Amino acid sequence: MQIICISGGGSNRTKALAGRLAHKLGYRSLNREDLLEKAIKEGIQVSKLETATIKPQMFTERLALEREYYRAFMTAFLGGLNTENGTVYSGRSGHLLFSGIDHVVKVRVVEDETARVKEVMQQLNINSKKAIRYLKDVEADRNRWTRSMYGVTLEDAAHYDVMLNLGHMSVENAATALAAIAQLPDFQLTPASKRSMEELVLGANARLLLARDERTFRANVKVRSDRGIVTVTYLPQDAGIAQIIPEVIAPLPGVRELSVTMATTNILWIEEAFEAASETYQQVVEIATKWNAAIELLQFIPQDMVGQEELITADEPAFLSQRPDFVRECIGGIEEEGEVVCEDAGFQTVQQALARLGCFGGGRRIVGGATQVVKSIDRTVPYSLIVIGNMFLAKGHSAQMRMTRQLLSYLSDQINAPVVNAEDLKSQYLFGHHDLLKLFGCLGLFSLILFLILTYQEPVLRFLSGVEFKAKALAAVAVFLFVPTMAYLYGTVARSLMKLIRME
Amino acid sequence: MHTLLGNMFVSLNLSTALQVSLLGFIGGILSGFIGSGGAFFMTPGMMNLGIPGVVAVGSNITHKFGKAMVGSRQHGKLGNVDKRLGICLILASYIGIQIAVWINSMLFKGSGDGHGAGGSAAADLYISMVFISILLFVAVSMLRDALKSRGPNGDQGPSMKIANFLARLYLPPYISFPVSDIRISLWILIAVGLATGYLAGTIGVGGFIGVPSMIYVFGVPTAVAAGTELYLAMFMGAFGALNYAFQGFVDIRLTLLLYTGSLLGIFVGVYGTKVVKEVLIRVVTGAIILLCVLSRAIAVPMYLRKIGWVSMNPHWDAYFNAASKFLLFAAGTSGTLIILFYVIRAYRQRRLIEHSLRSVQKMEPAATVHLDMSRAN
Repeated sequence: MQIICISGGGSNRTKALAGRLAHKLGYRSLNREDLLEKAIKEGIQVSKLETATIKPQMFTERLALEREYYRAFMTAFLGGLNTENGTVYSGRSGHLLFSGIDHVVKVRVVEDETARVKEVMQQLNINSKKAIRYLKDVEADRNRWTRSMYGVTLEDAAHYDVMLNLGHMSVENAATALAAIAQLPDFQLTPASKRSMEELVLGANARLLLARDERTFRANVKVRSDRGIVTVTYLPQDAGIAQIIPEVIAPLPGVRELSVTMATTNILWIEEAFEAASETYQQVVEIATKWNAAIELLQFIPQDMVGQEELITADEPAFLSQRPDFVRECIGGIEEEGEVVCEDAGFQTVQQALARLGCFGGGRRIVGGATQVVKSIDRTVPYSLIVIGNMFLAKGHSAQMRMTRQLLSYLSDQINAPVVNAEDLKSQYLFGHHDLLKLFGCLGLFSLILFLILTYQEPVLRFLSGVEFKAKALAAVAVFLFVPTMAYLYGTVARSLMKLIRME
Repeated sequence: MHTLLGNMFVSLNLSTALQVSLLGFIGGILSGFIGSGGAFFMTPGMMNLGIPGVVAVGSNITHKFGKAMVGSRQHGKLGNVDKRLGICLILASYIGIQIAVWINSMLFKGSGDGHGAGGSAAADLYISMVFISILLFVAVSMLRDALKSRGPNGDQGPSMKIANFLARLYLPPYISFPVSDIRISLWILIAVGLATGYLAGTIGVGGFIGVPSMIYVFGVPTAVAAGTELYLAMFMGAFGALNYAFQGFVDIRLTLLLYTGSLLGIFVGVYGTKVVKEVLIRVVTGAIILLCVLSRAIAVPMYLRKIGWVSMNPHWDAYFNAASKFLLFAAGTSGTLIILFYVIRAYRQRRLIEHSLRSVQKMEPAATVHLDMSRAN
């Protein structure tokens, strides 16, 4: 069943467009107000969430949990709608709930500002100046809501399939155009997209159960689902709920396995082909153990997708064609409807090994380019580190290095977390010979300078407390240059020491 | 205590040096744990060691300069620094610092021969009074928040009265800050910048007003507020250090000794925030600050006597000083011990887990955390 998410300014024309489109296609029409009503009935404190997103300083831990509850509810409700044909949803950010799912058409509607101002003037009986200010405030609030709830901006075109300007066409024509677009093969329900939706809804339902249960509703948990394996990560302070989680999740149909992991933070490990015997695996596990982090696996299969990916240029052979067996499975993923055959031995082994170690934070696979990677990353998850392992394996060494660096740079720009490649992982996050040298070198130099200053206290202090202007200026400049150098030296000592005893 | 170059610098022996380093360590732990600069503990601590208030502030603000430089670099890597907001605040803060340094040095020089001889009681009293008023407000607010969050309605968040009141005012011109996603009136920005600078210059505690202002008044996300405050602290520290060093009030020995403790302590404190519950962090922090305020208040009669506002037997100074010193160290030490208790416990647990994991890796097949739902069903 297809879903068309229309994100507009909440005007009458946008609502009319949703209604017209639903009528044309014979779909069910839903708007934000309908869903909010259901969310309030569910017990979600929507008004508090609205206020908190406008004033981020109010975003308490409790409200952050409420946000998870709201998102899970929206995903489960919209994704789980069992209508015969499809649904047209008109709201702020429905499109962000179903990122990467093909049969969900994500539409952005923009409108003529003058028409909007007139509409608001009539609705609220205010002058044009006030109407302009009102619309600006509404737009700012909508943006804050999206940023706060999903960690992305509303204007980011990468999250939409279609953008329509209602200032340039009538509602009827816009509905006709969208109805035609919705019929395109790109937006049809396929076994793979159906499976993706089911995974998403399964994860959301699991999160909903945890939010509804009085024993677990206060716990800060993250839930993911991949091929029926539901992964729940919780914080150490919620350790008491570890035994309760399976009881709460047990009644949920569709769960093949449940993995419950305690973690303070998250590490996202992106790799093309996972290997449990690799050096990267050992290093990532070591860091995760040190930080008490859950490791989330993201298998990224680069694909030469037409017109969207600069990482792989058109003249380079598409990676897909060089691993046809694997790609066929993972793109299609399903030979017969409902039967998953997408199995990658490396991914499975790593997943199982991490689960055994108690640090598995979920896993998923994507095919595409850097944009798909960014879109697949949940911005509300606080990643402490993103590791890019071996990528672009079909390329030569130089091309591999260059493209990995490009991907790293792109992710660093888009995601608010440190991004490193496998080569830099050890030098930056694990203690090595280089750190040992730095530790002793800086400690020696700092100690020597401190010893000299304490030995010659009077001359040093006399120099620092001169009475003439020149002496005073010299003392000020000396302090200004000397202090940061010493802070850097001792800071390096302290950091290296903490790295050595694994207390970072 | 034996002094050097008049009454301005104390003579450092091994015991005093260790005490300063310990002050730095405790200040560092509290700083990492609470998220402020830790000066609320280190400045009065140094004053209790016999170091004149102005030198304690000057050395501490210099210490803060280097520390903030290292810290803001780390935050910058994580994208937690709103440079535009930082720079706007810096401009106002500079004026605040300048006012503070001027008042401090006037009070200091006015009470003696120009370099502290004859006592620094007026400056000490002034610093203590500002310290008491500001930190009393912070501690009470923090404890009230913590108590509220333990109530039936749970974590309701801080009071929005100030933010709501300011939101109703229309004070153009407004400046937009895309990194923090906020829009602020220039006048409110200047007021906060001045207050932050003034406090940083007076008691070396700018973060106590800077971070809450950015969060509660401006609406900046917490991580960005902390990163931007460090960025701001780097410039304010640099400016304060230059000013105090120019006036001859920086004791570089104290600055370096503070580093030996504080830079290690910060890591321990930050680790503590990961293993201690939010409510407990607020309670511990509020209680420590409250005890620091009490400690400083006990020292006030001494300064009042020195400037001749009250008559009191000078021999009592020793008792007041001892009581003040005891309370401060008791506050810092007990707070630090609580944090260290949790840190060490968590560290040991982690080592235990690491050990178990190594055993799991060696022994195959091993117990798995997987729960097969087909069995469960």
